[in-house]
Amino acid sequence: MHIWLLFAMLALIFWGITGVTQKLSTNCISSERSFLWFCWAMVALSLVVLIIERPHWGLGRVVVLSAIAGGALNGLGAWTSFRALESGGKASIVISLISLYPLLTVALAVLLLHERLTWTQSVGAVVAIAAAILLSVETEAKAET
Amino acid sequence: MIEDTSRTKRPAWLLWSLATIVLWGAWGLVSKVASDGVDVYVNQLLYTVGLAPLMAFVGWTVWRRSPREAMPQRRKGVFWAFLTGILGGVGNLAFFQALVKGGEASIVAPVTALFPMVTVLLAVLLLKERVGRTQWAGLGLAFVAIYLLSA
Repeated sequence: MHIWLLFAMLALIFWGITGVTQKLSTNCISSERSFLWFCWAMVALSLVVLIIERPHWGLGRVVVLSAIAGGALNGLGAWTSFRALESGGKASIVISLISLYPLLTVALAVLLLHERLTWTQSVGAVVAIAAAILLSVETEAKAET
Repeated sequence: MIEDTSRTKRPAWLLWSLATIVLWGAWGLVSKVASDGVDVYVNQLLYTVGLAPLMAFVGWTVWRRSPREAMPQRRKGVFWAFLTGILGGVGNLAFFQALVKGGEASIVAPVTALFPMVTVLLAVLLLKERVGRTQWAGLGLAFVAIYLLSA
């Protein structure tokens, strides 16, 4: 088993758990307040990392800007997804549509980073997106009833 | 409602959804670029720096609207939101580490995007939600996808 796959699966598991905790949170408070406390937790975690890990510095400008842009893009994406739901989008359609985002990552990575996917991996990427859509559609349809 | 406006302009929800695809799609790319030069901890720190302006904006919005939420509900909601942030942050560290350890953005992004499979399983186990045929099919496909992507 590839070591990167192990970490990817860990990310998948932790993010998967947040699907439940986020739902429990927004059952009690607004999505905006929930997002705010989500951010405070990120700050707390970063402070712990800063104290315990003593990260290595001395970085290139592109790398620093990319990492900062990562936080901004991911946070803004969460915010725009809330706006999509709040502006009348049917949850089952919005969530399914948003599930297509890895397609863009794949396209950008192939075009800009010159990554190469094997035929099997290409099929896997398409199947992954189909799976994410199927998982999302049913969950939201149920939540609406 | 949508029928009346769709002739002249795209519905707002569609534009917000497309914006989300662009933002999250680009996130996978910049994370890979960043992971080539920083360790996962610095990446998480800088990620939080990038999150800060939006956090300030949302904080201002929440303060301005000041919605009246019952205290017990609010405490519970804040607890779950904070836990979501911690788990999300640890998930980020694992995501960054997957990229640092040689995972390509074009593979890691589709694999990690399958996280709803865990949500669905937990919703069944903990929230006692029922799983329909479509979700079972989604779960099955998710395992197939992980196998194919890791080949």
